[in-house]
Amino acid sequence: MVDLFTYPPVLKGFIVLIITGFAFPITGVYLLRMNLLPLRFMLMHGAILGGALSLAMSINPFGGTLVINLLLVLLMTWMSRSLKADPGQLSAFFMVVSISVAFIFIYRFQVPAKDTLSLMWGSLYTLNSFEFIGTLVFSLLLIIFQAQYRHQLRAVFFDSDVARTAGVNETGFYYGIILITAVTVAAAMKLIGALLLDALLLLPALIASYHAKSYKGMVLWSSFWGGLFATVGFLLSLAFDLPASSTIAVFAALVFLILILTQKK
Amino acid sequence: MEHSLVLFQNEKQIFFSDEHWLYPLFEVEQFLGERSISPNELFLRDKIAGKAAAALIVKLGIRNCFIELLSERAIPVFKKYGVNYSYQKLVDHIQCRTEDLITDKMTLEETYLFLRKRAGKVQGVSLKINSLSVDIAGKQILDNLELDLGRGEQLVVQGENGSGKTTLIRSILGLIPSINGSITIGEEVVGSSGWQKNRVQTGYLNQETIKNNFPITAAEVVAIGLSSQKLPETERAYRVELAMRKTGSFHLMSKLFHQLSGGEKQRVSLARCLCQNARLLLLDEPTSYLDEKGREELYELLVDLSKNEAPTMLLVSHDSNWTDRLKWQGKILKGGKLW
Repeated sequence: MVDLFTYPPVLKGFIVLIITGFAFPITGVYLLRMNLLPLRFMLMHGAILGGALSLAMSINPFGGTLVINLLLVLLMTWMSRSLKADPGQLSAFFMVVSISVAFIFIYRFQVPAKDTLSLMWGSLYTLNSFEFIGTLVFSLLLIIFQAQYRHQLRAVFFDSDVARTAGVNETGFYYGIILITAVTVAAAMKLIGALLLDALLLLPALIASYHAKSYKGMVLWSSFWGGLFATVGFLLSLAFDLPASSTIAVFAALVFLILILTQKK
Repeated sequence: MEHSLVLFQNEKQIFFSDEHWLYPLFEVEQFLGERSISPNELFLRDKIAGKAAAALIVKLGIRNCFIELLSERAIPVFKKYGVNYSYQKLVDHIQCRTEDLITDKMTLEETYLFLRKRAGKVQGVSLKINSLSVDIAGKQILDNLELDLGRGEQLVVQGENGSGKTTLIRSILGLIPSINGSITIGEEVVGSSGWQKNRVQTGYLNQETIKNNFPITAAEVVAIGLSSQKLPETERAYRVELAMRKTGSFHLMSKLFHQLSGGEKQRVSLARCLCQNARLLLLDEPTSYLDEKGREELYELLVDLSKNEAPTMLLVSHDSNWTDRLKWQGKILKGGKLW
């Protein structure tokens, strides 16, 4: 199995997966705390639209996914705040629109559906240098953001009104978190796909929320579980010749199940 | 006597001040607060003393003093509390507005708090509302509302559900973007850049409605009050501990906030406001979800707070049985105005 690491795509995939495994669950904490789960669905569908558009225009799907997701979150956030519309309903609306437009593009530009659907399960071993470095840099920035603004984030997650009265720029952090979520989802789509990205994003945060005894503990435990799932899942996939993304997701789900079943009532 | 006030310990001069009015005595209070000195060893020489100064001397625990110019109004205070006094000249009263404002009905504690407020030695900040009108979804909630609250004063606003009590609080907090009229906290108009910089001076204790099970400890909730301040972690931890000790919630430090009782949560939330060093405290129906024990705990905390730190406090509630016990001044919010 060690021999496999001599192949650059495998090594690159492993490195990026481990780093994101530790970093991306931080976004999971944000998603859980800000109740942004519907947003995540919208971004998954937005990523498919971005992928379809990129493939239709023969450009890098990673960049296209990123741009579409950023546009979607900005539009959704602006509409929800300025029109006082429900973010959940808006997310559902954009989700439907995104997937509809994506399929129109797939049909009209004869984009191979297989290529578009590869976004569903990710393509860890096909990372180019831009994607590799970009994902690592983003992961690093995410960790720095969390470390630098941990006090303000804690206030925003606790109560937005209390945060504002404590002098925290709640609106700024809200937009920041939304943008970070958009980038994280786009990057995670490339790594493990739309259908499985929750294994890296949400499951670690969800598990941590069951046993963490503080906000700090929740962030650290989420990061730990994400890193563990990524590492063990990846190694298992190599050992048993299984798809990396599915193995990670199954391993994470198993741990989640065990912890739920063994948790004290 | 060169200085306006001199303090001796066993005949050795340990402090002097050249300030005027009651400030030298407040300086003595600070001086003694930083040292461990038995009041019995102290002897105070002061240039002028009236009823107000006498009350402060008693509060400081000083038993022996010499006053150059003494008001007759000070003598009953000294006699009542067993202070040995002597003087150079006795007058029936001194030219001091403060002395006229102290009534015989006021207890020593009340007099002391009153003097602290007049001297600006309380945490509170003034709140002035001019012609405040708030319209939400086409409905006039507040209509040319006026309010003037001095430093360290407390006010209970009562009103029926839907009368606009929460809207008033949210307007003062700057959480309602479009208002007519002006709200001034200290020197800063709500919404101005100066107010943004000093926003932390307003603390907010909301209805105990934060029901989520977010894993956050009580100490972390208190630390939220320091979120926008750049402090070393040791200083942050110290301030959190201090605030929690003041509100008797120190033992809850590592407990999960969502597992606390309603009363404990309000205790922790008050500690958050103290940690924030809030000078204006806005309390929105703080007893809504509290049982009898929680209501009693909160009552004691607020009474204690109004005597010590004395932030300016505005409390809105429809629970008149509970607010009546606070003995704060009260107003009714009706028809969008305060009566």
